[in-house]
Amino acid sequence: MNRLFKAEVVSNTHVSDTLSILKLSPAGAEAAPAPGQFYMVRVSETLDPLLRRPFSILRWDEASLEFLIKVRGRATALMRSLKCGEELDLLGPLGRGFPPPPPGATPLIVAGGVGIASVYPLIGSLARDAHVFYGAPGMRELCLIDEIRGHTERLHISTDDGSLGLKGSVVEALAGFLDTSGVTNPVVYACGPEGMAEALIGMLTERGVPGYLSIEERMACGVGACLGCVTRTVSGYRRVCREGPVFDVRELSR
Amino acid sequence: MRLEVEIGRLRLRNPVMTASGTFGYGEEYAGFVDLDRLGAVVVKGLSLTPREGNPPPRIVETPAGMLNAIGLQNIGIERFLKERLPFLRRFDTPLVVNFFGDTVDEYVRAAERLSGVDGIHALEMNISCPNKQAGWSIFGTDPDVTHRVVGSVRRVTDLTLIVKLSPNVTDIALMARAAADAGADAVSLINTITGMAIDIRTRRPKLANVTGGLSGPAVRPIGVRMVWEVSRAVAIPVIGMGGIVSAEDAIEYMLAGASAVAVGTASFLNPTAAIDVLEGIKEFMTDQGIEDVRSITGGLIEG
Repeated sequence: MNRLFKAEVVSNTHVSDTLSILKLSPAGAEAAPAPGQFYMVRVSETLDPLLRRPFSILRWDEASLEFLIKVRGRATALMRSLKCGEELDLLGPLGRGFPPPPPGATPLIVAGGVGIASVYPLIGSLARDAHVFYGAPGMRELCLIDEIRGHTERLHISTDDGSLGLKGSVVEALAGFLDTSGVTNPVVYACGPEGMAEALIGMLTERGVPGYLSIEERMACGVGACLGCVTRTVSGYRRVCREGPVFDVRELSR
Repeated sequence: MRLEVEIGRLRLRNPVMTASGTFGYGEEYAGFVDLDRLGAVVVKGLSLTPREGNPPPRIVETPAGMLNAIGLQNIGIERFLKERLPFLRRFDTPLVVNFFGDTVDEYVRAAERLSGVDGIHALEMNISCPNKQAGWSIFGTDPDVTHRVVGSVRRVTDLTLIVKLSPNVTDIALMARAAADAGADAVSLINTITGMAIDIRTRRPKLANVTGGLSGPAVRPIGVRMVWEVSRAVAIPVIGMGGIVSAEDAIEYMLAGASAVAVGTASFLNPTAAIDVLEGIKEFMTDQGIEDVRSITGGLIEG
């Protein structure tokens, strides 16, 4: 299966000041991704920016791949300005995605900010039984709300500034739900920034709730060669690109 | 067209190798590159015992380059021999094992363990690590220490011995001469250049280790200059590396005096970079009517 391929920009939709959804059409038939997997995207043919950037797969079908891009620096700013017809070089799908929930479990999908991209594919496949917890600093950093509502009524929004939904962090919202809802056999599927990830690991560990967390780390190669993207686990440093990006929260208990 | 080159007793089918630390243990890139088309595979640096490496963040991109502070994380020689070498033995391409130690004795014991193992064809000594016997001096920055550690390893191995030189010195030719005098079969250069990057908003270093090694196209002119200096100072072959992403870059190193080249950071952005470099060298030779790749080495015209 060819994991190194070219893809053409089909659309580049700006959904907020910093977020855009990039839709690409691969040149040939490529391997289908699984929820939680990622691609390394070469942003420019030039040598600056130099390295590929990792992006979780947001949506896909036989003819297209979609990525949620948040502008963070020069490479992502370039991606935001891509025009239809431009060609990108992709490597993927890479890494281990989210495992399916055990029978009888209630999936709780948790996203912080642009972390929604990594868990979004689960919403379509698990939404019937799932709850979705989605938080960001403010409402302007939330996206795809209508699409999520199309899959489930059980969407719990939280914002740090209270501009939409519950005021507070998504981890606080989830903790409140776990403590008061009487939910049976919860299993958490989560992705978010480092601060949220740390808080979530602590909160789930404290309650003994199982979960899977997609970890974000800077990457160079994406294929396990450079050892640049490691994260600390109970069994030492593990490569986010190969052993992850999705880890069992018990592996991450620090 | 002749592409073969000789490094010590190693015969390479072409002059394009991978650079240690950028190609894992080969398996990571085997899905993208036919390892049998490479001149040699050089694997990630090994030590007698496993190393955990530095805390993250370990990498940061800089203009046309990257800083890394992996901290020599590796699975250790024994696990390499048991778990990784069997895969690499399936290929004909010469295998060069990069290794290091914290003391002269560790270098010697590592070289002894790696010698006489079926499937290992050459050793590359990384002398850019701290010398724990002499406080914080570096094996690769004091020519007397370099001579001692290379000489000690030379006495225990018959394998082709390549010494990888650090560019973080005032006179790299002096270091190369020390390695050659001590019995090295070849020198490879450059290793990464020590650098640093700061997040001006948090006022914190961008790497948890504070400093890291700079690689990528940004360092290439320094590497080319150092290969030129070293190739005029020693009679043994020089393997050139540092920022090679294209055949043009590789040929530049060869004109400066390199007998072979290694592709490093470029594999991260382009998994087929080493093969692309090789194909480009062949095209260049055809265009220029060059019959023997060895005739490019040292072909710089000065004055």
